[in-house]
Amino acid sequence: MAAAAATAATKGNGGGGARAGAGEASGSRKKKGPGPLATAYLVIYNVVMTAGWLVIAVGLVRAYLAKGSYHSLYYSIEKPLKFFQTGALLEILHCAVGIVPSSVVLTSFQVMSRVFLIWAVTHSVKEVQSEDSVLLFVIAWTITEIIRYSFYTFSLLNHLPYLIKWARYTLFIVLYPMGVSGELLTIYAALPFVRQSGLYSISLPNKYNFSFDYYAFLILIMISYIPIFPQLYFHMIHQRRKVLSHTEEHKKFE
Amino acid sequence: MDLSVSVVSRETSRGLGPVFGLNGLPRPMPPKTIRKPKKAVLFFEVEILDAKTREKLCFLDKVEPQATIAEIKNLFTKSHPQWYPARQSLRLDPKGKSLKDEDVLQKLPVGTTATLYFRDLGAQISWVTVFLTEYAGPLFIYLLFYFRVPFIYGHKYDFTSSRHTVVHLACICHSFHYIKRLLETLFVHRFSHGTMPLRNIFKNCTYYWGFAAWMAYYINHPLYTPPTYGAQQVKLALAIFVICQLGNFSIHMALRDLRPAGSKTRKIPYPTKNPFTWLFLLVSCPNYTYEVGSWIGFAIMTQCLPVALFSLVGFTQMTIWAKGKHRSYLREFRDYPPLRMPIIPFLL
Repeated sequence: MAAAAATAATKGNGGGGARAGAGEASGSRKKKGPGPLATAYLVIYNVVMTAGWLVIAVGLVRAYLAKGSYHSLYYSIEKPLKFFQTGALLEILHCAVGIVPSSVVLTSFQVMSRVFLIWAVTHSVKEVQSEDSVLLFVIAWTITEIIRYSFYTFSLLNHLPYLIKWARYTLFIVLYPMGVSGELLTIYAALPFVRQSGLYSISLPNKYNFSFDYYAFLILIMISYIPIFPQLYFHMIHQRRKVLSHTEEHKKFE
Repeated sequence: MDLSVSVVSRETSRGLGPVFGLNGLPRPMPPKTIRKPKKAVLFFEVEILDAKTREKLCFLDKVEPQATIAEIKNLFTKSHPQWYPARQSLRLDPKGKSLKDEDVLQKLPVGTTATLYFRDLGAQISWVTVFLTEYAGPLFIYLLFYFRVPFIYGHKYDFTSSRHTVVHLACICHSFHYIKRLLETLFVHRFSHGTMPLRNIFKNCTYYWGFAAWMAYYINHPLYTPPTYGAQQVKLALAIFVICQLGNFSIHMALRDLRPAGSKTRKIPYPTKNPFTWLFLLVSCPNYTYEVGSWIGFAIMTQCLPVALFSLVGFTQMTIWAKGKHRSYLREFRDYPPLRMPIIPFLL
């Protein structure tokens, strides 16, 4: 049960294709899930991560109350945001060593895209940090992550409240588009500064005969959202129908 | 299996009677009322269900026990012309492995009524077509960059020529490599498997064409920087490239000679008189070893990072293939030489 829940959970902020879904069904029956030591570790990890994102949430609220304005709240939570979002890299490791039965590729893709946004865009282009779009994705991520990590924790302990399960498979309907808009607007806002400064760009001639245009790269990243976003979103809607309707049926029988 | 055997023997004993006339005399015509004499075979019944929906797609009531899966696929096509044989995957279990075309119905673990599950593999395309498009693309694309056609490097460079000799040499090597591959596809390779899914061609072409364009862009760039160690580096790289190309060709010829035309037999490849094939002593897939070597040579020659990346990606992919091939050799041949590794001697 824990393993199955964990699988579904990692796909949370939206990943997973049909193949991963199928693996989840058969995998949970065959594998018993992580061992006791791994479970203990995973519980600690997920508790810490839940707490971390709660710190960010509280930080946001306190800063808002203190300032009376929602502009530039990023600076008040910059450090914990960087720390805990980077800490999500461990999730890739969990999948790689097999204590979480999700696809390594998919998890890496999700985590890396966020780490990229935090470090290579928001951290690197100081000018965008005061943009409201940053706040848009930060709020979306914060709520998503608090629910996702607590979902994990409770699942591992085999006591998953229905409310958390419901929230996990419902709030994304609003939060996911919100996060994506925030991310896209932030990258868009960074473009002129990247072009101006030539940030992370390599130009010819050089002895490796290679060049890199970070400006063009960011545009490519933005374009890549077009095919990926709808796919993940509808996958989650599908998951939602599967997970939530299944539970209701179960309840009737009990 | 047991059941089918016993049924067959019963049918046979019943059927034996009328076939041989008494005393060798021509057998008298049986009266019309008696059932038509049946041939001494039992026919199998085969039903084909959709693997996903379990819907009955086709029922074949008279299938010879010796029928192969390929023949059943042909029969199935008659009622469902949209699924030509290469598109079909037939299995005993809806989620199990696909049956091979050579599998014989009689030898499968089924009763006299076999239930097969069908899955549509999607549109198929022949390997030869895929290979030709995959390889013709890079050849052509590279030349576009080499000749600096307009809209790539800026107007003033249109149709100019690089002042570095190594750029011209690289163009010769690159073109040679892909022409060699095209000719090998047409005249050397024998494909055991006829087709692959159509979408593969898009995937493979994006990979080959995209990388070719990326590499060609930098190598033929007006701001190209020639190799750090000059002519010495180029000569060494050319030597590696040529040796590996010859090696790769030798292996392809050796593999061709291993498999007679039209057959699907598999044998252990061994070194021949050609010294380039002696690598078979140490690895299962020396053709990949040589292929990777060629690209490393090309990377050293051009001193271009994208070429090195292409070599790395290619190496990763070829290692996966080589491991698969190596495993199937080990599974198939008990006396497989233990010294061999998949792709890199003693290592990998």
